[in-house]
This record gives sequence, structure tokens and C-alpha cells, in this order.
Amino acid sequence: MRWLVPLAAAALLSGTTPAEAKDVMPVLPPYAGAYQPQTVDERGLWMVADETERAMRDSKTVIHDAALNQYVRDVVCRAVGTDRCTGVRIYIVRQAAFNASMAPNGMMVVYTGLLLRVRNEAELAAVLGHEFAHFELRHGLRGYKHERTASDIFAWAGVLAAGAQTYGTARTYQSVQISAVGSVYSYNRDLERQADFLSMQYLKSSPYDPNCFGDIWTRAMDEADATARGRKQRSKRYDRVAFFATHPTDLERTLYLRQAATEMGKKGEDDQDRFSAALAQWRPQFLADQLKLNDFEGTDYLIGELGRAHWTADLLFSRGELYRMRGNPRDLVSATTFYRDAIAQDPANAEAYRGLGLAQLRSRDAAGGDALKKYLAMRPDAPDAAMISTLVQ
Amino acid sequence: MAAWGDSMLRFVFRPMLALLLMAGGAHAALAQEKSGIKEGFALKQGSARILLVRPTIKVGAQSTGGMFEPNADWTAQAKDNLGAALDTAQSKLGNAVIVADEPIGAAAETMADYRALFSVLADSVIQYQFFPGNRLPTKKRKGVFDWTMGPGVAEIAKGSGADYALFIFNEDQYGSTGRKILQVFAALAYVSVQSGQHRGFAGLVDLHSGDLVWLNADLKMGGDVRTPEGAQKRVAQLLEDFPGSAAFAKSAVKVAAK
Amino acid sequence: MTKINRITLAAAAIGLACTAPALAGNKLIPQGQPVAVAKSPLTITPDHEWNKMGARPGRNSETWTLDGDGLNDVTFYGGIESGRTLFREVSKKNKPLPRFAATMLLTDIPALFENSYSIALDTQLMKIEGVTPTTFLGAKGVHFAYSFSRPDEEVRRKGEASAAIIGGRLYMITFEAPNVYYFDRDIAAYRAIVASAKMGAAPSAR
Repeated sequence: MRWLVPLAAAALLSGTTPAEAKDVMPVLPPYAGAYQPQTVDERGLWMVADETERAMRDSKTVIHDAALNQYVRDVVCRAVGTDRCTGVRIYIVRQAAFNASMAPNGMMVVYTGLLLRVRNEAELAAVLGHEFAHFELRHGLRGYKHERTASDIFAWAGVLAAGAQTYGTARTYQSVQISAVGSVYSYNRDLERQADFLSMQYLKSSPYDPNCFGDIWTRAMDEADATARGRKQRSKRYDRVAFFATHPTDLERTLYLRQAATEMGKKGEDDQDRFSAALAQWRPQFLADQLKLNDFEGTDYLIGELGRAHWTADLLFSRGELYRMRGNPRDLVSATTFYRDAIAQDPANAEAYRGLGLAQLRSRDAAGGDALKKYLAMRPDAPDAAMISTLVQ
Repeated sequence: MAAWGDSMLRFVFRPMLALLLMAGGAHAALAQEKSGIKEGFALKQGSARILLVRPTIKVGAQSTGGMFEPNADWTAQAKDNLGAALDTAQSKLGNAVIVADEPIGAAAETMADYRALFSVLADSVIQYQFFPGNRLPTKKRKGVFDWTMGPGVAEIAKGSGADYALFIFNEDQYGSTGRKILQVFAALAYVSVQSGQHRGFAGLVDLHSGDLVWLNADLKMGGDVRTPEGAQKRVAQLLEDFPGSAAFAKSAVKVAAK
Repeated sequence: MTKINRITLAAAAIGLACTAPALAGNKLIPQGQPVAVAKSPLTITPDHEWNKMGARPGRNSETWTLDGDGLNDVTFYGGIESGRTLFREVSKKNKPLPRFAATMLLTDIPALFENSYSIALDTQLMKIEGVTPTTFLGAKGVHFAYSFSRPDEEVRRKGEASAAIIGGRLYMITFEAPNVYYFDRDIAAYRAIVASAKMGAAPSAR
């Protein structure tokens, strides 16, 4: 092991099993500070990370909205403490997958798919804290060395295409072949457990309710199962969920997280309201991105989960869009119901009228014309207004 | 036609892993170096100002499995050495060379757009004109070298008084020990393994018309860019057959041979 | 859109590809002669010469270019049937593409196209810019513009498309080029192709 592991963390990590968790949950280790590259490998990796970050700054996929960025930064700082969160640079990237990662140079990337899936601030803190733990424990470097010695180029072929999410990614990535952003870091079960324990330590010192920490993983796995079911595949690997890239997480993990949470015996906040307020204006866009993935079952599961507490107009509208897109005769009927419910909640939702009209027309129901007329009245300058008018004659 | 696409995918994504690992190099069976020049183009010494656009330089190692490992130290050295070598080489040419500034703001986007377009253009020339295998009928005709960036490219040289822009791309992957060992074993098995990959291209664009007047592509270059002498040799290769540069090529070779 | 060439480039870049596979090479399309494209009745009479790419994006599609598909790309989709994807899937398992349905409305075609590209290119940045009605192949059709970028490239690209559903099948002609210079230069040539497009007799067996 050629990287520096804080001594306290090393003690924390040595052979801890869930059964001993009660005895061996020590105090949060003092933060050793930002790490500078020491070896040739590390400098190479930093160089790639730095270049990725430069491209990120100018990228069209990054959301630069000040309020959203400040909110996510605040969550990270509440999760891991201010000592650790200074020096972290956060980039919110517009991608529909559930993913977050942290490069060795301190750049943290959060996909919008993650922001869509967490239910409250405590869950978001759990995921981002987990990533920070990998960063603090220098797991990224280890992953890089591991991949370098593995001759499995085909694991990389997919990364080549999938890894470069910056709008302006250079030819670099044709030849560099690794994404410094982290879809590359294939953590095995041990490293995941190490990161889990350290992140539990952050969260213990945080204002959050530890009982919120396990659920997000279960839901992510259930969603991956739904996706696989929809594609008539067996979901033996959760690589549809980018976060769990090349290793399966399992029930054991969720169990020990729940157990650790209970043993912490602390109460805390989930800050649901603050979270919903911060994300309210973004959710329709994130839902639209999700719909583009052509994953009916996974998206249906996700929308269902989000709507479990309360079906809001944007969720009903998205569900309408989802069913209308699949377009089987029964789907079109369901879609009209969802759109009508969306309109009932939010009569100003012009897009819902559009969806309703199109679903009806596709079912050969002439009433669709009326809904489309309403849409055109509400949005005369819509980009497809001319096209929609031809359908209304 | 569908068959070819499918068989390509089968070829790439199914077993015979070892064999595939070994068959490195896209154009292994084909010619490695080629240059093209626009019909009738000539560059008189001392007659023009040339804008040197920031070269794209990537240097790293190639692991046993063929992975590119970026190496920051090497890349920094290469950038310095190639920069110095380019300075000397161009001054020998007798044409004034202006090194492009790093633009900011909107100008940066324009510069990025044109550097990106140049890469796509050069790829097209290499794929569809230079090397057999996938050439386009309209580009195969004798004497035809009809490529352009569009007259808008003059934007990147605004205020510099330059007549031409020189774009350079250089990529080096040095075969690691492991890769070299693999090469030896593979040779015993009569399989050819490419260790290391050194490719680059250099192109000259007429800023008044936007036309690409010269492109030199080399998929197997020599010279170790981490050393000043190697960088000189590399630049000589990149700028080989540079318009009006017979004298230049000769003197550069002499330098490298010393 | 020739995905096969991109796969070749990607594979080549990671040092995988061997010698170029044997494939029917790129052919010349001469000026002024009507020619059936994409193995379908769709017939084009070009007003100047083009190159036809040997690699096809899918079973009922075909690409023409002037300078290479990275610089100008006209792709014909000739009679995509209900239940088929627009182009070949790279990974049927992990990235299945949406499929055309004969019951689709014309307004669904831009969405089909947009989702297909954004899945195939793994990007959220594929954007449809304007959707208008048009007449295409003598039938009611849809026309739309779009913009996107390939994930392994910095170049921004613009596109334009015309499509119609005839006899339950989708016919479409798209044009793509970098938005620096090439799109504006070659759009007229593309529009001339679209204007010349007709439904001819079904091609004889080849």
C-alpha cells in the first residue's frame, strides 16, 4: 500500500465485522488534509483529474446554478464537517444515472440522477459522505492500480463511451481510456465496508438521522431489478446503477448499516422540507432526462417511489409521458388518466394538455383535439406549435 | 451490410482476448506515413506569417494490457521540448512564427471550436484520403486535395497578422516493460504485437481562404519526445515535407543524426 | 449516422482493431441519376456527386457524404418497420434503443429520434430545436432541427431532418455537420436531396 492512510482510520478498518460494530465505532479521526501526489502513477492520475476538472468548468453538462450548488455544498459540509469540506469542489452534472464520485484531487461529481432519487437531505448526505470516505481513504488510487494490472480491456470499452460526460471532452479520452471521475473505481466489498464505516462516523457527528442511511441503497437495487425485469434480464450485477459499477452490493450491507444506525442511538433530522424546496424547480427537468432513457420498468418504479408519499402534478405528468411513450393501447388509456390527474392538481400545466391530447389522438379518440387546442391556447409559441396545429384540424 | 457491422462487434467484444490484445494498432498492415498538399500550393520562404496554434500533446505509457497511462512528468517534458524544437524548426524556415496566445471568454470558445474542427478534419483526411481501406471515391482522384476549415478560421488569428495557422497533434504511448515482454512472446507465436504507439499530424491552414493547404500524418513516429534531441527529431518528422521546406528537412535530419 | 466507423475509431484507439475488415467500399453516387437508397423504394436524384459510405447505420439505412461523415453526413432511413430501432444497437442489453411503432403520430418522431441519439451517445445534450409540419414524399410529414455532440469529441454538431410515415413505415432523411462552417455550407445540398426525394418502385433483389 503506497498511499498514506491515517492511523486512526487504519485502526477503524482492521477486521471490523458487523457483530463487533458496537464495540469498535471509535471517534471520527482527525482529518489529515488534502493529499498531494507522491509517485509517478499518482501524478499521472492527478493530471487526468485536473484536466477533467478544467473541461468540467466549461462543460455544458454542468449545472452552474448558484443556489443549487450552494445547497449541495452545504449538505456535504453538514455531512462530513467543515474541516473536511473546505477544498472540495463540487460539480453537478446533468446525467440521469444514480451516481456520485470523487477524484483524488478533491473534485466531487454529483449526477442529477442522484438528486432525483434521494428522498431527503439525510439520504443525500449519506451518499455524498460515502463518496467522501472513499476519497479520504485513498481508495481511488488503489482502484487505478488494480485496473492497470488487469488486462480486461473490455471493461474499458464501455467506460470510454460512458465515462466522458463533459460536453467538450477532448480526444484525450480516446486514448486515456480512464475516467478520472470515478466510474472507473471498482471497489470491492472490503473497500465498500471500509468506506461505509468511515461515512457512518461522519454521519454520527452530523445533524442527520442515521435511520435514513440504509434505504437509498435498497431502493437503488430495487430499481435496478425493475429495469432488468423490464428488459427480461436477470439483474445479477447492479451495473445498471452506475454507483455499484462492478461489484454487487448485497443485503448484508444494508443490514449492517441499519444495525449500526440503531446502535448509534441518536436522533437526527431528515430535513425533508429544505430538500424539497431546493429541488422543486429542478425535478421536472431531471424527470424529463430520466424518461429519455427508454427504461420503462425502472422509471415506473422510480416515479412510484417518489410518489408514494404524495402524488404531485409533476410526477403524474411524468408518469403520463412514460406510458404514452411506450404507447401500447392499454398504456395510452393509463396515460390519459395520469394526465387528467395532473391537470386536476395543476390546471396551468400546459404540457399535460399536450400529452393528454396526443395520447387520445393516438388511441383514435377525437377528444384529443380539444386538449391540444387548450395546449395551443396556453402556449402559442411552443416549439412544436405549428406541428400540433396540423393535428387539430 | 448488416453482417459487417455485426461481425465487427463480435470481433471486438467476444473472446480470443489474448489475440485481440496483441493485435494493437489500427493500421498495422497499412502504410504509416503520408502527407498531402493542395494542388499548386507553394510557400515561399520569408513570405508569410504563421500562427502556431497550441499543440495537443499527450504522453504516457502503455501497460501490458494496452492501457494508456497518462504521465504528467513526461507530458510536461514533451510540451517543453516540443515547444523549443518547434521554435528552432520554424526559425530555420525563414517564415515568421507567432505563437498563439491563450484566449479567454468568447474567443476561447472560438479557438476551442476550431481546434476541435481541425481534429475532425484531419481524421477525415487520414481515414478517407490518405490510407487505403476506407477511401472516398471523390477523394481518391489524382491530385485532389480539397479540404477546408471554412473562411471563418481567420477569427482565431485576428490581430496577429498571420497568413497561415499551423495545427499540431502528438500522442505517445511508450510500451512498458511488460508490454515489451509480451511482444517477445507474441513474436514466438507468430503474432504481431505493437508495443507503444506514436502518432501525430501537422496541418497548415490558409487563413484567408480557410483551406487546408498541407497535412502530414504519421502513425509511427520516431524520436523520444521526453528528450530535447528526440523532440527535434519528432518535429522534423511532423513537419516533413512542409511546403517550401526541402532545406529545412535536410538540416533537421543532420541535427538528429549528430 | 455511421456508428460503425465510430466503433472502428474507438476500437482502433484502444489498440484493438486488426486490419480493416473486408467490406464493400465507399461508392461514388454520380450527379443527376435517380438512385434508390436504403434498400427501399426511396429514390433520390442528386444534383451533384456524393460518396455513399460502405458502412450502414442499420439494415434499412444508408449514409452519403461529401468529405467524410465527421464533416457532412446525410443519412437515409428507408421504410423502418413497426417494432424496429432506427439504427443498430451497440448493446441491446444495457442500452436498448426505442422502437418505431406504426401507430405513432408524426409528433412522436422527433422524440423517437432524440431518445435514440441520447441513449446511443450517452448524453443529455441532444436537443430538438424546432418542429414544424412539412410535405415529404408527397405525404404529410414532420421537419425538425437538432443539435448534439458525440461524447468523445469536442465538436458541436447541428442537424436537420424530414420524416413521414407511409404505409406504416418510417421514411426519414437527416443531415448532420459540425456547426462551425460545414452545416451552413452543405445544408443547401441536403435540402436539394430532400426536394428530389420520391417513392419509386421497390428495388429489385440484389
